[in-house]
Amino acid sequence: MASSVSSQHDEVLVEEKSFARILTLNRPKQLNALSSQMISRLLELFLANEDDPNVKLVILKGKGRAFCAGGDVAAVVHDIRAGGWRAGANFFMKEFTLNYLMATYSKLQVSILNGIVMGGGNGASMHGRFRVATENSLFAMPETALGLFPDVGASYFLSRLPGFFGEYLCLTGARLDGAEMLACGLATHFVQSAKLPALEAALCAADSSDTVIISSIIGQYSEQPSLKEQSVYNRLDVIDRCFSQKTVEDILSALENEAVNRRDGWISTTIQTLKKASPTSLKISLRSIRAGRLQGVGPCLIREYRMVCHVMRGEFSKDFFEGCRAILLDKDKNPKWEPSKLELITDTTVDIYFSKVKNEDWEDLKLPARSKFNLPPYVIAKL
Amino acid sequence: MDRAFQRTRILTNHLLLSTPAQTACLTSNDCFNYSPPELSENYAFDVNEMRKLMDGHDVEERDRLFGLIIQSRLFNPRVRGGKVFVSPDYNQSMEQQREMTWKRIEYLLERGVFKGWMTGEGEDVEMKRFACFEVLGLFDHSISIKLGVHFFLWGGAIQFFGTKHHHDKWLRDTENYKVKGCFSMTELGHGSNVRGIETVTTYDSKTGEFVINTPCESAQKYWIGGAAKHATHTIVFSQLNINGNNEGVHALIAQIRDADGNVCPNIRIADCGHKIGLNGVDNGRIWFDNVRVPRENLLNSVADVSPDGKYLSSIKDPDQRFAAFLSPLTAGRVNIAVNAVYQSKVGLSIAIRYALTRRAFSLKPNEPEVLLLDYPSHQRRLLPLLAKIYAMSFGANYLKMLYVKRTPQSNKTIHVVSSSFKATITWSNMQILQECREACGGQGLKTENRVGHLKAEHDVQSTFEGDNNILMQQVSKALFAEYMAAQKRNKVFKGLGLEHMNKPCPVIPSQLTSTTLRCSQFQMDALCLRERELLNRFVADVSQYLAKGESKEQAFNMSYQVAEDLGKAFSDRAIFQTFVEAEATLASGSLKDVLGMVRSLYALNCLEDITYLRYGFLSVDNGVAVSREITKLCTELRPHALGLVSSFGIPDSFLSPIAFNWVDANSWSSVQH
Repeated sequence: MASSVSSQHDEVLVEEKSFARILTLNRPKQLNALSSQMISRLLELFLANEDDPNVKLVILKGKGRAFCAGGDVAAVVHDIRAGGWRAGANFFMKEFTLNYLMATYSKLQVSILNGIVMGGGNGASMHGRFRVATENSLFAMPETALGLFPDVGASYFLSRLPGFFGEYLCLTGARLDGAEMLACGLATHFVQSAKLPALEAALCAADSSDTVIISSIIGQYSEQPSLKEQSVYNRLDVIDRCFSQKTVEDILSALENEAVNRRDGWISTTIQTLKKASPTSLKISLRSIRAGRLQGVGPCLIREYRMVCHVMRGEFSKDFFEGCRAILLDKDKNPKWEPSKLELITDTTVDIYFSKVKNEDWEDLKLPARSKFNLPPYVIAKL
Repeated sequence: MDRAFQRTRILTNHLLLSTPAQTACLTSNDCFNYSPPELSENYAFDVNEMRKLMDGHDVEERDRLFGLIIQSRLFNPRVRGGKVFVSPDYNQSMEQQREMTWKRIEYLLERGVFKGWMTGEGEDVEMKRFACFEVLGLFDHSISIKLGVHFFLWGGAIQFFGTKHHHDKWLRDTENYKVKGCFSMTELGHGSNVRGIETVTTYDSKTGEFVINTPCESAQKYWIGGAAKHATHTIVFSQLNINGNNEGVHALIAQIRDADGNVCPNIRIADCGHKIGLNGVDNGRIWFDNVRVPRENLLNSVADVSPDGKYLSSIKDPDQRFAAFLSPLTAGRVNIAVNAVYQSKVGLSIAIRYALTRRAFSLKPNEPEVLLLDYPSHQRRLLPLLAKIYAMSFGANYLKMLYVKRTPQSNKTIHVVSSSFKATITWSNMQILQECREACGGQGLKTENRVGHLKAEHDVQSTFEGDNNILMQQVSKALFAEYMAAQKRNKVFKGLGLEHMNKPCPVIPSQLTSTTLRCSQFQMDALCLRERELLNRFVADVSQYLAKGESKEQAFNMSYQVAEDLGKAFSDRAIFQTFVEAEATLASGSLKDVLGMVRSLYALNCLEDITYLRYGFLSVDNGVAVSREITKLCTELRPHALGLVSSFGIPDSFLSPIAFNWVDANSWSSVQH
């Protein structure tokens, strides 16, 4: 008994199928980058579905070759140019609120990650209970190359990956395929894309909000893909040794020591990537993921909101604007970072990003109140 | 009528629920749902700011180390109720626990955690080291003791008793664990009385070697941490006998195992065996059978022996020489005091979080059961202890600063303050953990819930590095000396916070009002009054015994009761002072307001001590007023309880399942079927 309640032009398509709701991100030309309107719409839909006793399951997917390539950062930069940094802050406030809602959602969210899933796309999926990767999945948190830092609650979900793999993904923006996502826990299942329609149909027919039942339904379509031989996930040893070091400088020199001991293309690529990233981004990202490891998802988002406000204000570094210029607008891929070197950024400077914004009427992120009853255990564990 | 109705209901329920189809209803009962305290309790103050104030320093370093522990399989992570908890597997055999402790140390070594601990210098390095010990101690007592023996005792002895060639030869190798050190001081026959040890060292000028000997069974080295399994080297304390003269206790370095772990010739080592706690530390016993070590192995900062066998010392007085030898123990004492504060923080965080989620009994039929922490009696049990640990945190931070800023002039202060704080804080830790254990009911008995187990792990703190009772007597003796010095030279009291003795005796109003009781000046007066009166009384008692012809030692022994009360009065007052000073650094606001209440609760809790009534410092009426005010403060602090324990900055992983979703942690689905 399917019925369509949205038009072709909506940025979020909604399908109602018995006890399931399928939400499709529908901006394929922009790789489904989240616009401010999309975020508002998703917030609206998620809240309504949570209250609707007829809904047991929310499926989120993307139209075209991406699940979601991130927040629409180009639009944010445009808004800031027109309306000041607060315009940017408002965008992130809404996005992080959505992330929190998803993280503390009392119903099951299944995200079908059949394509690119980056930045804000991860924020819209990783906090949900089930993440289905496919052979088309392509994961990254590439913010340090953009003069930003992994936000959308990444300091929560990346820091909880095995060993120091989270630090690695967070600092280098390394890309993962579906098999790797499953191996490290970013994905909960791996399903061949050909089987997705059948999976969707099965989920829609499920009539259950039981974690175990839904998991076993997805399991029926899942497989255990093998990691490619060159997979970075086979290098956890080196990653743990190097990325557990205290500072970004220490991490770099640990990598350089490893490079001395053996010739390894991966190590030198990693070093190069780190050297190309914004030094300020690297330092605040490392501090953020380490703080996030010890915090619940709410405090993580509150902290990240402080950080993003400082980045938008650009009082210490304008790397975010430079990064967007070089990568998204001019596309010369040659950002000029300022400060240009790691050693020019002191701990005290990094501290600033974690402090309250000293601005009249600025406030910390206010998370929406959540019902203290009926939250599933996996949500309670994140608080 | 109500009662009868309820009984019928209960019976009906029993009958209905006996059919399996109906059992599902049980889960829908409100009382059985775990409701996370985060969602119902609000923080009225900035928890991060409070944490910075509590930890005092190196917050980022602490968090990195917490992360290193949580992310490694070596630290035995287990998922319970959807959360990861780290804690050693105490169900392992003693041998396995020891090996795990060692593997964890190797892991931290590889990650550069100990970088600069021996070779670095300065206050920052020392403070950072303290911070790391606090974090590691939150994981497990064994790892912190095993590291403490190696770095503070073995390494500290080389730093403090050794001279440049010792530093050059040993410190770097100690820092990177090329050598594994231990510290052989205590013997079977002598613990606190170090001057009585029986191990003897002589010098052989023909070979230029010292010869160490265990002359009798009571001289075997005992409780030597690291000796049973891992240590390759030790500091040996012995009576140095040169040309037939006993020059007193001195320290030398001796190798006890080769690099492959084989025990060296002329050394015998035995295990101390299984203990009530700390089984991850390999405590051993050592016998020396004419063990020869080169002359350079004498740690010679205080005294030396020339190649031809002459004893040389810059400190002529043997008492002072001995005191100089004991100075590295101060660092250990500081560590123990600080560590005990953090153990209490674990206990209180767990017990209070549990009390915010566990319910028992309804006030009226059909009403939800009451949260444990909403019972005034439960508040009265836990919240004064919470206030106490806030005060002791400030005390511990002060003690650390005092230690790292040490000068030759501050040695006496450090000795007195560290002794009294160590005794007070470790005793109170045992009291707090016991109360927390009981407050968690049966759950407190499960090892995975930590509270009960921590008692056994930390019991040793009351006696090692100085028996608490003896330390308190030493504090009183030091105060006695201050008193006599001031009186004899007709000078004012200066130092140890005794300046209040120069002022007129404070007066306690006969009718204590709520306002007075919460005034920090009154609280300080009341604590100073007790210290002053007890010091006067102690001096009078000792003098009376002396006048009767008793020796000074005997006079002190006979006055033990006042001596211990005085030691306690001294440390309560000194700790209170550090609280007031910390509070004074804050700008007014919600943080300061809450801390003000905590401070009052701590002070009034001290005033409830038996000594106030025993010696009549408070009237019975005032005693009642104090008690009533404590109850009021508990009610007022109840809404801040979650914020106050969250400010301890202990990551969830270092607490325990009952501190979080204990229903899910114990659900059937979590059982390994």
